[in-house]
Amino acid sequence: MLGVDVGGTFTDVVSVRDGRIEVAKVPSSAADPAAPVVEGATRLGLEDASVFNHASTMGLNAVITRALPKIAFLTTEGHRDILDRGRIWRPPARQSDTSWRRPFGDAARPLVPRYLRRGIRERLLADGSVHVPLDEEQARGELEVLKRCNVEGVAICLLNAYVDPVHERRLRELVREELGDDLAVSISSETSPLAKEYARASTTVIDVFMKLIFTGYAQELGERLREAGFGGELNFADCAATLLPWDEALEQPFRIVFAGPAAGTMSSQRLGEALGDGNLVCCDVGGTSTDVSLVVDGAPFVENTFELEHDLIINALSTEISSVGAGGGSIVSISASGDVVVGPSSAGSDPGPACYGRSGTLPTVTDAALLMGILDPDGFAGGALKLDPELARKAFASLDTPLPLEQRIGFAFRIAAANIAEEVTNVVLRRGGDPRDFTLVVYGAAGPMLLPAALHLMHARRVVVPPHPGNFSALGLLSTDLVYYDVRSAYVPLLPESAAQIEGVFEEMERRLRERAGKDGEVRRSFDGRLFGQSWETPFVQLPAGPIDIADLVERFHETYERRYGNRFPYIPVQGVSYRVELRVPSEKIEFTSPAVESDSAGRAIELRHFADDPLEAAEYERVALPVGTRLSGPAVIREGLATTFVVPGQTVTVGHLGELVIEAAG
Amino acid sequence: MTAIRDLSTAGFEQRYGCDRFTATVLTNRFGYVVEHMCARLLTSAFSPILRDFYDFAATITGPPSAAWPTPAMSASIVLFTGTMADSVRNTVEEYGVERLEPGDVIIANDPYRNGTHVNDLLFVRPVFHDVELAGFVNMKAHQLDMGGVVPAGFSIAKKNVYENGLVLSPRALYRAGEPVHDTWSLIFDNVRFGEVLAPDMLSIVAELDLGERLLAETIERYGAAAVQGAMAYACDAAAERMSTALEAIPDGTWVGEDVIDCDAAGDDEEYRVRVTVTKRGGRAEVDFSGTSRQARTCINATPLDAKTTVGIAFKYLFDPQGWFTSGAMRAVDLVIPEGTVVSALPPDGAVFAYWEQSQVMLSAVLRALAQGVGEAAIAGDRGSADIHSANGVRPDGSPWISAAQVGGEIGAYGGNRHGDADSQMLSYQANGIGVAVESVESEVPVVVLRHEPVPDTAGAGFNRGGASMLRDTLWLSPAQHHLMSLRYKRAPGFGVHGGGDGSTGGIWITDETGEEIHVAGMEDGVYRYPYRVPFWETGPGARLRYATAGGGGWGDPFEREPERVLRDVRDGYVTIEGAARDYGVAVTGDPERDPEGIAIDTEATERLRSTR
Repeated sequence: MLGVDVGGTFTDVVSVRDGRIEVAKVPSSAADPAAPVVEGATRLGLEDASVFNHASTMGLNAVITRALPKIAFLTTEGHRDILDRGRIWRPPARQSDTSWRRPFGDAARPLVPRYLRRGIRERLLADGSVHVPLDEEQARGELEVLKRCNVEGVAICLLNAYVDPVHERRLRELVREELGDDLAVSISSETSPLAKEYARASTTVIDVFMKLIFTGYAQELGERLREAGFGGELNFADCAATLLPWDEALEQPFRIVFAGPAAGTMSSQRLGEALGDGNLVCCDVGGTSTDVSLVVDGAPFVENTFELEHDLIINALSTEISSVGAGGGSIVSISASGDVVVGPSSAGSDPGPACYGRSGTLPTVTDAALLMGILDPDGFAGGALKLDPELARKAFASLDTPLPLEQRIGFAFRIAAANIAEEVTNVVLRRGGDPRDFTLVVYGAAGPMLLPAALHLMHARRVVVPPHPGNFSALGLLSTDLVYYDVRSAYVPLLPESAAQIEGVFEEMERRLRERAGKDGEVRRSFDGRLFGQSWETPFVQLPAGPIDIADLVERFHETYERRYGNRFPYIPVQGVSYRVELRVPSEKIEFTSPAVESDSAGRAIELRHFADDPLEAAEYERVALPVGTRLSGPAVIREGLATTFVVPGQTVTVGHLGELVIEAAG
Repeated sequence: MTAIRDLSTAGFEQRYGCDRFTATVLTNRFGYVVEHMCARLLTSAFSPILRDFYDFAATITGPPSAAWPTPAMSASIVLFTGTMADSVRNTVEEYGVERLEPGDVIIANDPYRNGTHVNDLLFVRPVFHDVELAGFVNMKAHQLDMGGVVPAGFSIAKKNVYENGLVLSPRALYRAGEPVHDTWSLIFDNVRFGEVLAPDMLSIVAELDLGERLLAETIERYGAAAVQGAMAYACDAAAERMSTALEAIPDGTWVGEDVIDCDAAGDDEEYRVRVTVTKRGGRAEVDFSGTSRQARTCINATPLDAKTTVGIAFKYLFDPQGWFTSGAMRAVDLVIPEGTVVSALPPDGAVFAYWEQSQVMLSAVLRALAQGVGEAAIAGDRGSADIHSANGVRPDGSPWISAAQVGGEIGAYGGNRHGDADSQMLSYQANGIGVAVESVESEVPVVVLRHEPVPDTAGAGFNRGGASMLRDTLWLSPAQHHLMSLRYKRAPGFGVHGGGDGSTGGIWITDETGEEIHVAGMEDGVYRYPYRVPFWETGPGARLRYATAGGGGWGDPFEREPERVLRDVRDGYVTIEGAARDYGVAVTGDPERDPEGIAIDTEATERLRSTR
């Protein structure tokens, strides 16, 4: 089993063979992204691998940096500015900020410039009736303009096409006739046949971009892997970290625009299964930010849409991940009122924290941890990098504040932890949960160093530091199933006479999914509904397979609604909006096993500074030397190759049966 | 008083009852609490005004013993948040602090006590710690109907408080967690759309429960003294940021004015808002003397609205980041004469479309401050919410209503030093969700034929304003249209720092016979007064056209880089003629059929730019 996570800086390859986990890290290549993937995989051994699971942030990075191919957008005449409009709203925190612009609007950085967004004379009404027939001559005239501009792809989203695809399909034929058969084209009625034109349009536009970005890459990668001896299945992970066979992924590549972070959630879920713990807050603390996600009753929270940038919506199932601008590289500054502020700007990996000695002069959280004695100047990143405490000290000394140096350092560390704690609380509350019911799974290079210190702020049950916290996300690619899914919209009141229509929608989708998958699996149905009069749907009301029982649907809706909003309105009729089917085909997965302990050794005494008023006497351990069942009290520092765990005073840490570190408040 | 940043560790703790670290953590926590309350209400509300227009807000208030600080106001509709600091206090003081019990919900809606209008119902939940009153969590939310002569209230023709709607003096909706039957009956005996109001009100109370729980947990963890200290800190820090920013600009006295076209009693009277802003050191005074008398129909506002709008203008210019607090206005004094259009009196100074008055006040204050802040000036937005509503009956007899969906609700911002403006926003004082065309068309017998920017309507500038948004709608069944357009006589999107004004707007109806009627706006120097009929009736097949005003430009348009002008020509925001006239840039080619073939004629451009 192989998994690969192609990031902007590094390509991480993980291999699991006979339960043994091996890792390779290769610098990514913008010019030839397949090369480091093949190199890393070859290094770990490809020949006998049965699956190769691929995740990448290439799609997201291309969108965020606007390193995008030139494409056109065709829509109903008079409506080409839906892509400039989005859903109108500003981020609340930027309410009175005069520098804010809609990031994808014409005044900022549109994905498709207005002159390549063209109106086509045609119109369907909400009931599917034809108000204006498709004017083929006018359409050909518009296509001539696009031909002159040499576009590489065309996204088509006509108003009300989710009801009837007839005009979109004909228009696609015209595009092929005028611009050639090899052009990348997506139509909204196939890409994402859901009501509300903006989200459907932006999804379709992203789909065309992803076709252009991934098609050549996937073919290239497949060929090179086969040449290197790989004979198994190549799968792509999507935004919910579920897997798709690569050819299926290329049919609807908008689904794979943002794969990677969700894999960490999958990994946590898998570990939770092994530990018998189904309620987890997953915290991936990286250099720039912390990604927070939830697992409730053994399942990640999946959303029916997500945003690539503010309001740049994609209609894709995606693991709900919320980001806060606090990580190991977050820059520490002083506000106008004298507050110590951490982030949102980050020193990233270049220049990196001041202590890296790469000409960074601004203090970061990592600099604080180094000065506190939590990080080992000689043992950072497996000894690959030496850290310079003097540069870190200078950086903190340069801050313009009357606060003494030790307070600047201690505050910075604790505020970083507190910011992440707020976001964790935030994510749990948004889902109606109580942090006290959750275990915090903490990974990423800076997570184990920072988050145990915030445990008391979150009231969480305990912190678990998994095995391999530095590569934990990539392991998620080997923790997941193949999932085929489909979704359809139809505004239907949930009345007994609607049962046949809804059942028809589900059965049709299930038949097609089985055809596409060519095999059977577990079928999961759900629907998004709303109370009559609402415009926001309550998503993911779960349904059993089999004949539709409307009374049961309505009751399930009310239960889901009450859990989410704290009210039950049994007297208000329920309207079904979207119906979703997932077909899960089980795939081979990683098993966490008990670690072998290399040697048993006692701790070494070290001094930790600036965390409390006085220096703390702490013990330092090597993680590999801690056998299962070990129980220690904080303050303690536990070191391993790519991470450091900091257990604060008043906490205990226990080594669990899978080698996980379990940190709890003492007593 | 020592500035906050210069306080010693001991000094800080003495002043705020907690250390700096705790104060920072708690300030963030207050913001999160109000945002949580709002996020959940948005997605669970029933009324389109709440679920789409975000016409509600949440705040936290400290206890009376600490002089009612408001350390966090949600960043939703700023028009509310500014009034809530005062309205919570006014409401609770009148109700009686000593009568409060855990689990109470106190409501009130009188504009003369609370600001905004009667549809905006204030909900206050006291939060106790042990037996002490520790503060309040509050929401104010627009109810779809509050009685009065017009369904949903959306009319500017109401003449007094009796026509306007039900006035609720402060009273309990819940006592100790139990619903107060009298109050619920009073409301539901007097309002329409009870099937929408009831679940909306229950949902709002669920958010108060959430806010109360979060604030109580916070007090439990940090202690009442630290929480109270942090509330004071959040307000003091906002006040200090404002006065520090004021100190950084030169002293001066600046006058700004803007005008509302008319009221619904006739087009014989315009209503002027005049402000004199005097800035000395770290303080400012805003004097509304010279503002017109109160209007004869319900387009008036109240002093709390004036206070809020001044606060918004100052926040935009001097402290743009982060949450609004009750400390923001500490450095600003207001002088507001009685009985003006921004300080109307009952019973004849009726208040409904207060937000249009707020728009005019904002224009006046921004125009005044533009003279003092140099290149930080921001140009005028489209100047109005331009709300349209319509209703009718389908062929099968079922009624339909469309409120704030397909008129002029979406429009331009003005340019500023950071760049060109977006064309598709609400206004400087509102934030909300634009409704999808497909959603509207599935609920209302209307077809949106086009919705796009009009070329050459954006105020020209080094950074241009947003463009006028043209929306054509086709009405499939008979409809009555209600308009709330009060700024079509002159361009509200004023330019600053050498930038030009945006275009003026207008409304037209093409009736079912094909005849075009100019409903509102200027035509050959003559004002088309939209309230010459009580409402506009159309038959099946009629078309309605809205063109919103354009946003103002920032900076000299003749300094704009020709490449950016070329891009605007290619994208259809500016015509070839407009490029030459407004920007002094000569463009050749056919932008419509060969958009990548167009080019700048450098010589001709130099000629145009040197002979201005």
